[in-house]
Amino acid sequence: MSALNSMPQQPMTADEVLRYVKAAARAMNLPLDENAARSVAEHLGRTAAMATLIDGVDLAAEDELAEIYRPAPFPIIANPEGAN
Amino acid sequence: MSSAVALIHQVATGQVSAREVLAAAIERVDATDARVNAFTERTFDRARSEADAIDTRRARGEVLPALAGLPYAVKNLFDIEGVATLAGSKINRGLPAARADAVLVQRLKAAGAVLVGALNMDEYAYGFTTENTHYGPTRNPHDITRISGGSSGGSAAAVAARQVPLTLGSDTNGSIRVPSSLCGVWGLKPTFGRLSRRGTYPFVHSIDHLGPFSDSVEALALAYDAMQGEDRLDPGCQAQALQPTSPQLSKGVGGLRIGILGGYFQSNATGAARSVVANAAKTLGAAHEVTWPEPELARAAAFIITASEGGSLHLKDLRTRADEFEPLSVHRFIAGALQPADWYLKAQRYRRRYRDLVNALFEQWDVLIAPATPVSAPAIGTEWLELDGVQHPARAAMGLLTQPISFAGCPVVAAPMWPEGTGGMPIGVQLIAAPWREDLCLRAAQVLQQAGVARLAPAAALANTKA
Repeated sequence: MSALNSMPQQPMTADEVLRYVKAAARAMNLPLDENAARSVAEHLGRTAAMATLIDGVDLAAEDELAEIYRPAPFPIIANPEGAN
Repeated sequence: MSSAVALIHQVATGQVSAREVLAAAIERVDATDARVNAFTERTFDRARSEADAIDTRRARGEVLPALAGLPYAVKNLFDIEGVATLAGSKINRGLPAARADAVLVQRLKAAGAVLVGALNMDEYAYGFTTENTHYGPTRNPHDITRISGGSSGGSAAAVAARQVPLTLGSDTNGSIRVPSSLCGVWGLKPTFGRLSRRGTYPFVHSIDHLGPFSDSVEALALAYDAMQGEDRLDPGCQAQALQPTSPQLSKGVGGLRIGILGGYFQSNATGAARSVVANAAKTLGAAHEVTWPEPELARAAAFIITASEGGSLHLKDLRTRADEFEPLSVHRFIAGALQPADWYLKAQRYRRRYRDLVNALFEQWDVLIAPATPVSAPAIGTEWLELDGVQHPARAAMGLLTQPISFAGCPVVAAPMWPEGTGGMPIGVQLIAAPWREDLCLRAAQVLQQAGVARLAPAAALANTKA
């Protein structure tokens, strides 16, 4: 079975990406002049196309994040004191 | 300068002193670096002190460690005690000097290697070309009008220019394998989690790897073995035991199941890149084409995670000092900082599933072969690249063939090969194995080296790199 589902997704227009960049930059307190916003929007538009690919992957609820976080190293003691 | 292995032998047997070896390296750096621009920091005083310590130990009759007297240099994202860790940036000049060496520098020092300096890179490792606006581009020693690749461009160029026989770099999406390919040197990107990253300036915590470049497979394995070891203080370091590879090198590839990656890895490669893969495959006795799982999706997910973590890491400076960033990457960093959380989270969830697909593939195969870059080194400043009839932004396209592999965390040796039709410029081949099987990549590399199909160019064939 293909990992990609068949739901079509309409990509954002260049103007929509630019408006998103300006709004998100405001939300993130990132000052951008018009030229910088356009350049950022060009990059984000390319990434949006890639995100569409990933969005099409049929991930199940139990598909968890790739992990790094560990609360502590796994204990090597076979039967820690007090454990049953 | 002689090869790394020859130098180690000559120092160990007293044919030359570590001081003499160092003097030759310094002379070569001084003679060539005005044109190559690999070095951003020269630690010659420290190097003299380390070389003298080796010579003293030898005079006392001590048994010398594995890399005694070998000059090396590191990408400037590695901490060097007493030096500010630039990570290719202008902003980091304002950081205090590092108070200790990075863990891998400590381990190479313990193995007797002699640190000569720090090397140029793309700012904060976000690039594949080392066209660094602050420190100038690192130029390809085989043709100084061309890029060295990146982001560890200084690390590959320093070995290719015979300035030092060993360097260290980092690889998140291809930053060891791309410059290895374009400069024609050996490079090893180990398994994700194999080597400690403590004491290096991060780029993408989820995908950053560190590894060596060198002039031979033996030296690559010696350096890699010397750097192995557990590090409980690095949350990304998962290796719990040493697995030395040097004793494995002579085992050959008999009995190994070796395949050639097809599809995506062929269609995104030029004829020259495909020809070096064919040559490596013939030498290794590989005939079967293999399909790597979902390379486009993996590249997309790696791209999104990279942009998001990179953008977040530098958000504070992007808000207030964006004009001090590298112009070639600052807007990519900002775009990354603005990505919706869903893109990042889905990419990380996809990665776990992707890992299972890749590990399943390696139940059938031991080593897989693919080009390291689609093309040989483009001219500095190249903006667009056509592959299979499709126009790609040239800088990002250099990682097309490496990103899916590092996203899985597999170990890879980049083998330097020399196709026809590239004007004498190299293209590397990736020798890819299952996680934790660096030994298999290195065994295949050794076979290619012994057959003479993968090697550095003779020093005499270098472009005029002298100032």
